[in-house]
Amino acid sequence: MSTAAFVMLGFLLFCLGLFGVMARRNFIVVLLSIELIFAGAGINFIAFSALWHNMAGQVFTIFLIAIAAGEAAIGLGLLIALYRLKHTANVDEARELKG
Amino acid sequence: MTLGWILLSILIGVCALGVVFARSPISSAISLLVCFMGVAILYLALRAEFVAAVQVLVYAGGIMVLYLFGIMLVDNDVLRLTRQVHYQAWPVFVLVLVLFLWMGHKLYHSDYTAQPLTVAAATAPVSPSGESSRSANAPPATGESTNPQKVAGVLYGDFLYPFEAASVLLLVAVVGAVFLAKKEV
Repeated sequence: MSTAAFVMLGFLLFCLGLFGVMARRNFIVVLLSIELIFAGAGINFIAFSALWHNMAGQVFTIFLIAIAAGEAAIGLGLLIALYRLKHTANVDEARELKG
Repeated sequence: MTLGWILLSILIGVCALGVVFARSPISSAISLLVCFMGVAILYLALRAEFVAAVQVLVYAGGIMVLYLFGIMLVDNDVLRLTRQVHYQAWPVFVLVLVLFLWMGHKLYHSDYTAQPLTVAAATAPVSPSGESSRSANAPPATGESTNPQKVAGVLYGDFLYPFEAASVLLLVAVVGAVFLAKKEV
């Protein structure tokens, strides 16, 4: 499989994640779609790392996983806070920037 | 070999579709888990063994469990009664489809072979940013060094400061998550 196919696969994951972020209302599914975007970026990094025989791509994928872990923690904290304040998981309800 | 690639890509794509279009968040999370497993196999086949192991351990083992805890902590009726699809779903669908076709066409017709030659030529004489100090910091080439050794050589050589910044980022994320999820702020 050529590098073009890997890049296309990563871009497919990016597009699906973008659609999920913008079109779904459930906060958890929005967070999972962001993870899909991260996965697409990771596939790109690894594909070019294998093409150029350069380890920097793999190191950046590790950084990407660390950033995704931080994003997951913050996102779930936001979910718990939203659920406690409004008793909902709908992102459209979170339109006031105050408790 | 090619059949395996195609099957793996189809698995990843179908699971990604399942994440976005599944009705219940649990199905989305499980679908994303299978998708990450497929991505880990892809990393393994691209000779990124350490990253594949980290992907399975941290993503599939840690982050997905965190998401499942989040789903369990929220009342199930609230999740089920949430309207699934936004009113702007169709315009977004058209937008993303146009983006995918246009950008995918560009990506498909790009030239992926010209670049590594220029990089290899550029690294030999002078030291452009990354590559040369990496080879200086890498362990001496006594035979074949394994993939974790190579990754560690780059991670603790060139990318030491980003590594420390990532640790600070994780600390801030943990403190922020505790602050957000606390009972009384």
